[in-house]
Amino acid sequence: MAVISVSHLQKYYQLHQKEPGFSGSVKSLFYRKYYDAKAVNDISFAIEEGELVGFIGPNGAGKTTTLKCLSGLLYPTSGNVFVLGYTPFDRNNAFLKQISLVMGQKNQLWWDLPAMESFLLNKEIYEISDAQFKKTLKELTELLDISDVLNVQVRKLSLGQRMKCELIAALIHSPKVLFLDEPTIGLDVVMQKNLRDFIRSYNQKYKATILLTSHYMQDVRELCKRVIIIDHGKILYDGLLSDIVKRYTKNKFLTIELEEDIGREKLEKLGKVTNYQFPKVSLAVPKALSNKIAATLLDSFPVTDLNIEEPQIEAIIRDVFSKQ
Amino acid sequence: MKKYLRVLSNTWEEMVTYRLNFVMWRVRTVLQFLTMYFLWLALIPKGTILFGYSQTLMLTYILGTSILSAVVLSTRTHEIGEHIYRGDLSIFLIRPINYFLYWFSRDVGDKLFNISFSVVEIMILLFLLKPPIFLQTEIIFIALAILATALAVVLYFLFGAILGMLGFWSPDVWAPRFILFILLQFFAGSLFPLDILPKSLYEAFQLTPFPYLLYFPLKIYLGQLPFSTISTGFLIDVIWILIIALFLQFIWHKGLRLYTAVGR
Repeated sequence: MAVISVSHLQKYYQLHQKEPGFSGSVKSLFYRKYYDAKAVNDISFAIEEGELVGFIGPNGAGKTTTLKCLSGLLYPTSGNVFVLGYTPFDRNNAFLKQISLVMGQKNQLWWDLPAMESFLLNKEIYEISDAQFKKTLKELTELLDISDVLNVQVRKLSLGQRMKCELIAALIHSPKVLFLDEPTIGLDVVMQKNLRDFIRSYNQKYKATILLTSHYMQDVRELCKRVIIIDHGKILYDGLLSDIVKRYTKNKFLTIELEEDIGREKLEKLGKVTNYQFPKVSLAVPKALSNKIAATLLDSFPVTDLNIEEPQIEAIIRDVFSKQ
Repeated sequence: MKKYLRVLSNTWEEMVTYRLNFVMWRVRTVLQFLTMYFLWLALIPKGTILFGYSQTLMLTYILGTSILSAVVLSTRTHEIGEHIYRGDLSIFLIRPINYFLYWFSRDVGDKLFNISFSVVEIMILLFLLKPPIFLQTEIIFIALAILATALAVVLYFLFGAILGMLGFWSPDVWAPRFILFILLQFFAGSLFPLDILPKSLYEAFQLTPFPYLLYFPLKIYLGQLPFSTISTGFLIDVIWILIIALFLQFIWHKGLRLYTAVGR
């Protein structure tokens, strides 16, 4: 059975329109026009145990709303959600003990106390035994390389250290299902990489099911085999990341270096010239013909160097969104 | 329930980091006490009786409100509204912990801290002022006063929590709390014993929840209420607690359905 199953989930927010300015504010005190914002509009998917799935989409696509429904924070407008066999909004303790939601910009650590105090509180909240707590804490602090600052007041930590401590607090109960909402937001490249490595090893080590949202394609590309692309509250694509490349790329890109300036026209016959700056030329060619065209180029043109490139995933996904 | 004890001790530790804040709060409380103390000391000279109070009884009442305020009126519930409005509630909804017991534990931590200071202050004041104090010797009155105090703690917590629920709907949670605080000062009897008011007004007050916060437990301690009044008092007290608790549960569930967990 799937660990997470979502069918026809809808979540509408009731918002009221306010006219700009002071008179608008006064008016909205007495009369409010409400409308439904369809944050999530009829989505269905299922995730199996141990999967690491990337949830991608532009701002306001409905990613975070879906995660909130899955973790029991939001009451769905309609549809069914099951996580580990529970209905999240019931917030059954047995359910809560097995999940965790990490929100990149939300702190759970007690600001004025050392992080350790927050961990100890979580130990009691999740009713973890002393031995288990010690073991998990040791593993997590080693994975994240942070054992030296656990007894320093949280507000004196750097952002990176704090994020790591937040992660430990969120994982101290070894959750089976993990929802990560923009885990790498605001971190430098080195930290982003560390965090990705950590997420990957957590997934493998604990067979944890992880659903992650991110703006950084690199997070998704390095971590997730499967992606769900969502926009305007609807799923546009659900499947392997490698398939999306196959399915949505019609062209490959050939970059060549020329020995002599032969002019644009001759090359236009072979493919679309996207860039001609002697000696460098870029060509977009149909995927199926790319090898043939490359051979022709090498044979009959004064080419000194040739590169065949797949388009960037970012570009493909931009394509997917723009087709909407 | 070790998790709630841990919340309590963390709250305590947190308060230590905000010592200055806390000391200022205590100074304010002591000053308020001294004002009322000297006012009543001047109004009721030794040996006279005013509004049915001798100097000893009145000063004991004023001293009593000072201690009881530390027990009943020190609270953290004023943080609930903002906590909800800012979306910090999310952190608790995804954990196996009861949100209200969490805040109640923080309340208790806060109260213990306040009480420990209050006791030291009172010792010093007793030593300096040497006021005439009425000591209740009847165990039954002391026991009933403690029970009434416990109910008062619950009642005040529920009040605070209900106001906190406003956070689901509005960021303006501060003004209603301010008004409640002003009302409390007056209606709960922290400035003067309520029975010096005109009889009809006094009796109307007994039907509201406010006198049960300070006035009721203190009057029981002073041994000035007949048992029939005490039992009616407890009945009204408990009915209010039930009404407010049910109402709290109702708006909590209503609020949760609206909750949008903002700020991610």
